[in-house]
Amino acid sequence: MTAAITTFHPPLAQPGYRLFDGPLQDVADAHADQIGVVGMPSDWTHSSRLGTRFGPDALRRATSLMQSLRPQGASFDPDTSRLTAPATDWLIDCGDAEITAQDVDATTEAIAAMTEALTVSGAIPLALGGDHYNSFPACLGYSRGLAKRAPNARFGYIQIDGHLDFSDRLGAWGSHNHATNARRISELPNIDVSNMVWVGIAGWVDGGDLALIEEQGGRVFSAGDVHKLGAAETMRQALAHAMKGCDELYLSIDIDAMDAGYLPGTGSIVHSGITPRQYYDLLDGLADAPLGGLDIVEVSPPLDPSERTEFLAAEMLFRILRRFRTRPVTGPVTEQ
Amino acid sequence: MPLRSAPLPRMAGHLSFMRSQTKAISDVGSGDLAVMGIPFEDTSAPHAGQSLAPRALRETSVYFGWHANPQFSHPVDIDARQDISTDGLHERLCDIGDIAPGSEGAIHAALKAATRQISDNGACAIILGGSDRMSETVQSALSHCQTAQLGCRPVDARDFHIAPLPNEGGTTCTLDPAAHRAAFCEWRDASKPLFVRFDLSVFETSLSALCDQPRLGGCDLETVVQWLELLGQHDVSAIMLTGLNPNRPGMGVVKVGQRLMVTALLAFIYARLGFGTDHPGSQNSKENVLT
Repeated sequence: MTAAITTFHPPLAQPGYRLFDGPLQDVADAHADQIGVVGMPSDWTHSSRLGTRFGPDALRRATSLMQSLRPQGASFDPDTSRLTAPATDWLIDCGDAEITAQDVDATTEAIAAMTEALTVSGAIPLALGGDHYNSFPACLGYSRGLAKRAPNARFGYIQIDGHLDFSDRLGAWGSHNHATNARRISELPNIDVSNMVWVGIAGWVDGGDLALIEEQGGRVFSAGDVHKLGAAETMRQALAHAMKGCDELYLSIDIDAMDAGYLPGTGSIVHSGITPRQYYDLLDGLADAPLGGLDIVEVSPPLDPSERTEFLAAEMLFRILRRFRTRPVTGPVTEQ
Repeated sequence: MPLRSAPLPRMAGHLSFMRSQTKAISDVGSGDLAVMGIPFEDTSAPHAGQSLAPRALRETSVYFGWHANPQFSHPVDIDARQDISTDGLHERLCDIGDIAPGSEGAIHAALKAATRQISDNGACAIILGGSDRMSETVQSALSHCQTAQLGCRPVDARDFHIAPLPNEGGTTCTLDPAAHRAAFCEWRDASKPLFVRFDLSVFETSLSALCDQPRLGGCDLETVVQWLELLGQHDVSAIMLTGLNPNRPGMGVVKVGQRLMVTALLAFIYARLGFGTDHPGSQNSKENVLT
């Protein structure tokens, strides 16, 4: 008698990618000081070049591949002179929010529900766009969660971006789109415009929007300011301004602040002259900031056949999360 | 007057350069900037696609068509922290369309006639190429003109070369900019028409990757902006954009080259219209101030 041949094998690993190859878990399983990842694969609220709905997957793939190239565990991180920590110690990937195409309210609430739950638990929501509108629902959920966790707490806001995104409305797209996200965030109850800072703005901006920001005490650093002041000093000033009287920081990373020559795979390209090195220096300036929540948006893989955009963006995450993904050296270290 | 009173998505509506008004060539007047396209290929180019450049340039220019979009209050140059004047932009900038396809002889004849007519009317032609070989036709339409060339290979020692492609000892953009600009003013003869060739190869290739003639050591955007601002202060009869191939293999979705060229071209347009954005390093906006 011939024994049946077993053809089923449990998968060696979960199929698909998670950010930093971390574990896939529900938002309800998050705990304090963890990074909780929320995918926002939506580009229905972008007005021109689409493709950012593929951004979360691309970031998960790129961070996992880059993670695999970096030694884990008791190894040395050359950028930080600290030990690297496996993602299981500091991150959970909660999957994607439910996106309802052309129903911006439903999409907004779905994303906000996830970042709210993470914030209430004390975890730090990291939302992966998607176009920049999705930054608003991510921050909306964070704002609601913060109000529950610390009712009197205020948060500051830094947006690294080539554009202000402070319009009240945009043509046929109305009030909820990739040009209005910062305006909608400014209307949340536990933030004031005087604690909002923009870094990397390039080219022309709407004069009315700029005046509205500055009249209310907000601060705008142009790409030229980054070149003149230097990235580290720019971010030092930006952080000081954003955190005046605030308890936590919400960071919105729009990758398009980097010059499109380096990073073409994004919806609204600019020629800011900002290099990858400068962008990473900006993020390094926030390495020890009291992050309450963050998002990274506008990664559009179909717009960059070379795929370098998603890897540049993945490196941004390595930079901003260095405090989490590394630990201080407490004993002798052997480099691997 | 704006073209319309309601916001329009960028990809919708009639396509014209910066949402400018369209005009018949016979209506182009003195002081106007008349945009025309030459959507034709250089058949010896390494890749097909140059003929798509005029449309690509117009498409990306719509992003800067704020003067025709009532939803914006007014544009501000965020680095200079200055309002960008758009007064008169709509009246003086116009799009006269493309040279029509036909036999090679007919195309060259039409381009020559159009360039001459625009120049004779006291206007400046902004020619969206297309094959750079057609620049000879434009030159021939402007009798005894001087040619200033940004990028591309030097062909005539009498021309003024700004960051040319290396060609048997050609200069590079490592020259001291102030000395180079002074040399330009010395070279310029205001009694002759001025033709500007603006080739994408003036830029460092890593900034766009959409140029059929890649080069290392090209200029950054700021340097090119300063040159075009200076050139725009002179009585330019025609400026021709070449070298963009928006359809390089696999690169059709990468719009970086056209954005780079239009962003730089804006400096020329503003200076030509006398707006004078007072960008750092710029001259004042009076024409021929340095000649």
